[in-house]
Amino acid sequence: MTSDSDQQSLVSTVSLSDSAVDCHSQVRLKSEGERLLLILPPEAEMPGAASWSDLWEQLKHRLNAGERFITANSTVHLMAQDRLLDGQKLQAIADALNEVELKLVRVYTSRRQTAVAAATAGYSVEQQPPAYSLNQSPVEPAQSLAEPLYLQITVRSGVEIRHPGTIVILGDLNPGGSVVAQGDIFVWGRLRGVAHAGANGNRNCRIMALQMEPTQLRIADAVARAPETPPAQFYPEVAYVTPDGIRIARAADFSKTNFLLNS
Amino acid sequence: MSRIIVVTSGKGGVGKTTVTANLGMAIARLGRQVALVDADFGLRNLDLLLGLENRVVYTAVDVLAGECRLEQALVKDKRQEGVVLLPAAQSRTKEAVNPDQMKKLLGALTQKYEYILVDCPAGIEMGFQNAIAAAKEALVVTTPEIAAVRDADRVVGLLEAKGIKRIHLIVNRLKPAMVQAEQMMSVQDVQELLAIPLIGVIPDDERVIVSSNRGEPLVLAENVSLPGIAISNIARRLEGEQIPFLDLMAEHDNLLNRIRRLFRN
Repeated sequence: MTSDSDQQSLVSTVSLSDSAVDCHSQVRLKSEGERLLLILPPEAEMPGAASWSDLWEQLKHRLNAGERFITANSTVHLMAQDRLLDGQKLQAIADALNEVELKLVRVYTSRRQTAVAAATAGYSVEQQPPAYSLNQSPVEPAQSLAEPLYLQITVRSGVEIRHPGTIVILGDLNPGGSVVAQGDIFVWGRLRGVAHAGANGNRNCRIMALQMEPTQLRIADAVARAPETPPAQFYPEVAYVTPDGIRIARAADFSKTNFLLNS
Repeated sequence: MSRIIVVTSGKGGVGKTTVTANLGMAIARLGRQVALVDADFGLRNLDLLLGLENRVVYTAVDVLAGECRLEQALVKDKRQEGVVLLPAAQSRTKEAVNPDQMKKLLGALTQKYEYILVDCPAGIEMGFQNAIAAAKEALVVTTPEIAAVRDADRVVGLLEAKGIKRIHLIVNRLKPAMVQAEQMMSVQDVQELLAIPLIGVIPDDERVIVSSNRGEPLVLAENVSLPGIAISNIARRLEGEQIPFLDLMAEHDNLLNRIRRLFRN
């Protein structure tokens, strides 16, 4: 069987506007040596900016999904940027971290009120000039991708995961859920929702899944939906961009035709 | 140690209130003290299904406003010992209460009752937030329909984000004949998507409608019905008993259907 016969031509629809999708608008956990950085997205980013309850949900999901990789009792530095946090919110964050045996020790902020609240609550505080947060904002030429985000969760309806790097999901991506990555997307499970790889315009990114039944696939500025009739049997598959739009190949064939020929 | 369990679904009309009413009765039959809390402020129905409408004097809002004591607002069920209802206010909206008040109210109920079942309103707005505020466990009710399952999926995500880890699934209104003919999602299909443990499957039955209209919970009926047994089984599973699931398909698994399926595959 040739690899071509396995390629399902996906129904290509409109191509996305070329404005890059912002992947920095969510809570991030990043390990840096012994400590863990908890980075909150800057506040005044866009009109539909994440509210406190959105942030809170994201934080809980990230902590639950990455629990296996968290070394107990490591210290957390909170990069609050220009977020306004009162004592109650800081306490809520500390409690959530405590549940997975993490300890909040230091708060970096550019807001005076947040600094005061953090100091009152007994954390060491580092107040930075607001300019610092501007440097950290997505305006910076983010050429280098962040470290991959590994999540062991079911991405359920209504949940959106964004990450400025590659995303690995150990679990299903359910319909109504979406994953937006600047790098590749791996779904070690069923992909039934919306996946957007190479969100800042990289057409070389790929989407891989054990069972590919997407609502929609997007790579860079290309959009495709799955064929109307689902295949009788599922194989691990890879979606990639060709000049004609997004195509899907069986993972086993894809590695032969693409990786070997390109090398 | 009392258990606060919220019965929720996201989508409306899938049978949250019916399940809450019947399950409460079934648990009480096992000798437990049960408080049923209607968290659907402004659109209360739980009292109707229990047939206690005409005995409601005070509501949860009156308790919170300090106009009466908690014991005064609780309506005892005379048919089944051990069940009380805390009714919601019909004249107010869901903004009349906040999550902290709900926590306080349910906390007070834990003093005396072993099970506290909270009937959650449809949707994921303020009313939902209130209902789940104090809950430690959740029962997610869904029917085998794509919209109901999608909403249930969303709700499970929200419950997980709120730190409610013990979440069980109830599939309501299953029509075995339609599943057999592959015209309806099967329990396996639902479970595969939601990825949470199943605690019960309730078959579709017209007697459920009759019992709701009369305000007589099914589990109390003289001649037991299949849905009644299914709900009693859920109560016993909540108690920690291992009970096999009812084989709802057996009745429809005749020779003709088998031959049909053989050809279809």
